[in-house]
Amino acid sequence: MTYLIRGKVALLIKVVVVALLASVLLLLAQSAFAQREYVIAAFLAISVVLLALTYLSKISIPLKFFIPGILLLTAFVIGPILYTVAMSGFNYKTGNIISKEEAIVQIKVRGIEAAPSGLSFDIKLGTVDGKPAILVSDINTPEYFLSTLEDRTPLVASSLTLNEYGVAVEAPNFTPLNESEFASADKVYTGARFVFDDRFFIALEGFEAGVVSQQVLKFFPESDQFRNLLTGAIYTDNGRGNYSLADDKGAILEPGWRAPIWFENYSNIVTDPRVREPLIRVFIWTVVFALLTVLTTFALGLLLALALNKPIRGRRIYRSILVLPYAMPSVMSILIWGGMFNTEFGAINALLGTDIAWFSDPNFARLAVILVNLWLGFPYFYLISSGSLQAIPSELMEAAAIDGANPRQIFRKITLPLLLQILSPLLIASFAFNFNNFNLIFLLTGGGPRNELDGEIAGATDILISYTYKIAFGAGTQDLGLASAISLIIFILVASISLYSLKKSKVLESFA
Amino acid sequence: MNRKRFGFSALVAAFALAVSTLVAPSASAATEIVVWADENRGPDLTKVIAAKGDWVPGFTVKVVTFSSFDALKEAFDKATDASGPDIVVGANDWVPTGAKSGKLAPLTLTAAVKARFNPTQFLDLTYKGKLYGVPVDINNVAMIYNTKLVSSAPKTFGEMVAEYKSLKTSKGLKAGLCIAGGGMSWGAHSVFSALGADAYQFNSRGQIVYNRAFNASTFGKNVRTLLMDGNKSNGFFPATDTGCKDNFLAGTVPYAVIGNWEWSDYADKGFAMNLMPVPGVKAGTYGKMFGSVSGALLTTFAAKHGVESAAKSLLTNFFASSDGQVRYQTLAKRPPAEKGAQANTTITAAQRGFGTSASLAGIPQIGAFLNSNKGGANYWDSAPAYWTAVLIDGKDATKEAAKLSQIWRTNTIGGKGDL
Repeated sequence: MTYLIRGKVALLIKVVVVALLASVLLLLAQSAFAQREYVIAAFLAISVVLLALTYLSKISIPLKFFIPGILLLTAFVIGPILYTVAMSGFNYKTGNIISKEEAIVQIKVRGIEAAPSGLSFDIKLGTVDGKPAILVSDINTPEYFLSTLEDRTPLVASSLTLNEYGVAVEAPNFTPLNESEFASADKVYTGARFVFDDRFFIALEGFEAGVVSQQVLKFFPESDQFRNLLTGAIYTDNGRGNYSLADDKGAILEPGWRAPIWFENYSNIVTDPRVREPLIRVFIWTVVFALLTVLTTFALGLLLALALNKPIRGRRIYRSILVLPYAMPSVMSILIWGGMFNTEFGAINALLGTDIAWFSDPNFARLAVILVNLWLGFPYFYLISSGSLQAIPSELMEAAAIDGANPRQIFRKITLPLLLQILSPLLIASFAFNFNNFNLIFLLTGGGPRNELDGEIAGATDILISYTYKIAFGAGTQDLGLASAISLIIFILVASISLYSLKKSKVLESFA
Repeated sequence: MNRKRFGFSALVAAFALAVSTLVAPSASAATEIVVWADENRGPDLTKVIAAKGDWVPGFTVKVVTFSSFDALKEAFDKATDASGPDIVVGANDWVPTGAKSGKLAPLTLTAAVKARFNPTQFLDLTYKGKLYGVPVDINNVAMIYNTKLVSSAPKTFGEMVAEYKSLKTSKGLKAGLCIAGGGMSWGAHSVFSALGADAYQFNSRGQIVYNRAFNASTFGKNVRTLLMDGNKSNGFFPATDTGCKDNFLAGTVPYAVIGNWEWSDYADKGFAMNLMPVPGVKAGTYGKMFGSVSGALLTTFAAKHGVESAAKSLLTNFFASSDGQVRYQTLAKRPPAEKGAQANTTITAAQRGFGTSASLAGIPQIGAFLNSNKGGANYWDSAPAYWTAVLIDGKDATKEAAKLSQIWRTNTIGGKGDL
C-alpha cells in the first residue's frame, strides 16, 4: 500500500489535496472579505500561501507535520484569546455593538420624525424629466400634487387618472415606474426627501405611502456632534460609545458603538459592588466545587480500583458496569439526574420519602451538583487508578509486607504516594476542567437557585464560567466586554494554578 | 523552488482560484425580501406567501424558517450585514434590545394602517417613541376548566380552591389550577393579578401610574388564605408549570391557564373551549392576562440590502393587512392582531374565545417595564421567584410580596424612559 502512493501518484494526490484545501480556504476568505471580516480573510489567505509553500516546496520537512496544528491552534486558540483580550478593553454590550460609522447612520435615520400633523399620503413612484418624483394623493381632502427633490407642483383631479380608491396613478409629465424598475428604485427613492413645504419633506414608508417628516437630529461631522434642531440640545461623543448631552450624561442617543474604555471593565470588577460581590462568592464556590469534585471522584475511583485490583468473582462484569456512566453521553446523564432530583416527581425524593427542594435550596443544589459530578467523574479515576495500580511494582508491597507493614500502612506509605506521583497531572487537569465545567452547571441547575427577590445576581451553584456566560449572553443587557475581562481572569487563574501545581508536583521535570 | 515545483504551485493556485470563484456565493438579488421566522410561523408564512406572490410588485419574498424560537433569536442576535434578514417575525420584547443594538429600524405607519390595530398593541413594539414593526398575532392565555370535574364556570378564586379541596381525594387531583401555557411569569400574571398583584398599575382613565405598585399586604393575605395551609402550599397552585398540561389532559387538574397557540391540543382531546379569565377574589373581578403581540419587525439590514422600501411595503401590504392576516391565521390558528381579520368569519371560535377573554381582562405587555431590572431583577425572573419563595421555601407571603412590589415599582419607574 505504501508503495502504491509513492512517486508521481503521491505527488498527484498531494497536489489535488492541496488544491482542494486551498480552494475551500480561498472561498472562505472571499466570503469573510465580503462580510468585512478582514482579519479572518487575511488569515485564511496567509494559510493558503503557507500550505502551498510547505507542501509544494522543500522549505522544511518538520513543518509539513506541524503546519496543520499551528494553523488550527492559531485559528481556534490564539485567535479567540487575542480577540477576548481586545474586547475586554471595549465598551461592548447591548446598545454598543456596531461601529461608530454605522451608529451615526442609524441615529440620522432615527432623527427623522413624522410631523406633528401626522399627515401621510398615498403615493406613486415615478419620474419627471427623468428625475425621481412622487405623485401624491391626499384622498381625504382630496388634494393631489407632484413632488420632486426640488419642488412641488399642485395638480387638479381632472387632469389625473384615479384608481377605485381615488388615488392618482397617472399625471401629465409624470412617468410611473413599472414593476421591473422597482428593484433599482429602492436605493434611489428610499431616504430621498421629496418637497412638502419649507419645513417638512415627504419620506417614503414603502412604495405606496409617504409620510410628512422633519429632520430632528442633524449631524455635524466637523465637530462630531448631533444637534436637536427643535430644542437646540447638543450631543457630543462621551468617549464611551455614545453621543450624550454635556450636562446629562444619562441622556444618550441610541444606538451606541463599540468604544475603547481600556481597563475599565477590569476596574469595574474591583470597584463596582454589583460585579465584585457576586464574583467573589462565585469564585469561592468555583474553587470549592472543583476541589470537592476532584477529591470525591478520585477517592471513589481509587476505592473501586483498589477493591477490584484483587481477583474476585465477576470482576470483569463489575468493571464493565463501573465504566458505563463514563460511556454514556454526559449531557444525557445530567438531564436524567435533573429529572431524578425533581422535587415533586423525582426518583430521589420518592426513594428517600422526602420532599426536598433540591434545586430551590442553595445547599441542596450544591450537594446535587457534587453528587451528579461524582457519578460522571468517578469512572475516569477508576480507570486511570486501575491502570496506575498495575504499574506499581508488586515487589514493593511484598517487601513492605515482609518487613511487617500492614495493608493500611502499605497503602498510605507506598501505594498512595506512588499513585499521586503518577496521577498528579491528571488530577490537576481534572481540577482545571471542573473549574470550567459549564455543561454540568448549565444543564443541571442553570446556576440557580438565585434569590431574585433579594437582588441576588449570581446563583448559588454558578461557577465563574456560567456566571460569565450570563453576563455575556443572559437576558437584558449583554455585556460582552465585561464578560471578556472576567474570562481572561479565569484563564489566568486556571493557567497559574495548573502551572504552580505542575511545578510543585515536579511532573514537568520528567519531560525535560 | 525549482521550475517543476513552481509549475505545480501555479497549477494549484489557478485551480483553487477557479474553484473558489465558481463556487463563491453571489450577492443576493436586490429583488428579494428575506423574512426570518420560527419553526411554527415559518412554514405557514411560506405557504401563504407562495400562494399569492404579488404582495410587493417586482419583489419576491423568501421565508427562512428556524428550528425553534430560541434558534431564531440566537441567529438574529448574531446576524451580519450579509446574512441578516430584512424582516424578522419575533417577540415584542426583542424590540428594546434590537433597537438599542441597531439591528431594528424604525418605521412610521400611515394613519390608515394604524387604524387597523388597537393602539395599545403598538406599545409592545415601541421603543423610545419609535415603532419598529407591525403587530401580527396576539399572544395571550385564558383559563380552561374540565367539565368532567367541575360543572360550571367558577365565579371567584375561592370557589375554585373550595372545589379543589372537595375533589382532591375522591378524584386524585394533583393540583387545582396550574399554568400550562406561558410559564410562571408571563402565563401566571393572570393569577398574580387575580390575587391583587398587577405588574404595573393603571388609573381609571387607562393611564399608567408610575410610582404606584400593588398592595403587598392584600396580595400576601390572599396568597396565605387561598394558596397556603400555614407556611406550606395547600397544593392548589403549583410553583412550577412542570407537568401541568399532561395533568390537565389526564383529568387530574380541573383548571389550567393555557396559551392561545396550543388550544387545538386540548380541542383534539375532546375538551370544550370554555375559555375565561382567571376569576378574582371578588365575584365579577378577573385576573388580567398579558395581551402581547408578536411583531413583524423591520431590520436595519433591509436598508443595507437595498430593499428598505420594499420591506416596508411588505409590512403594510401583507403583515398589517386584513387579507394577509386572515390568510396567515387560517393556517397559524392564533388570534390575529388586525381588526378586519379578527372580524373575519374564517377565524375559529377558539381564536375568538381568546380574544374575548383578553377583552374581558387583559393588559398590554409593556416590555419597557417588564424587561427593566432597575429594581434588582426583571419581571421575568422575579415573578417565578415569588412562587418558589412562598410555595416551596415556605417564606412569608406578605414579606416576599413587599419585596416583589418594590421591585416592580422600581422597574416601572426605571422603564419609563424606554417607552
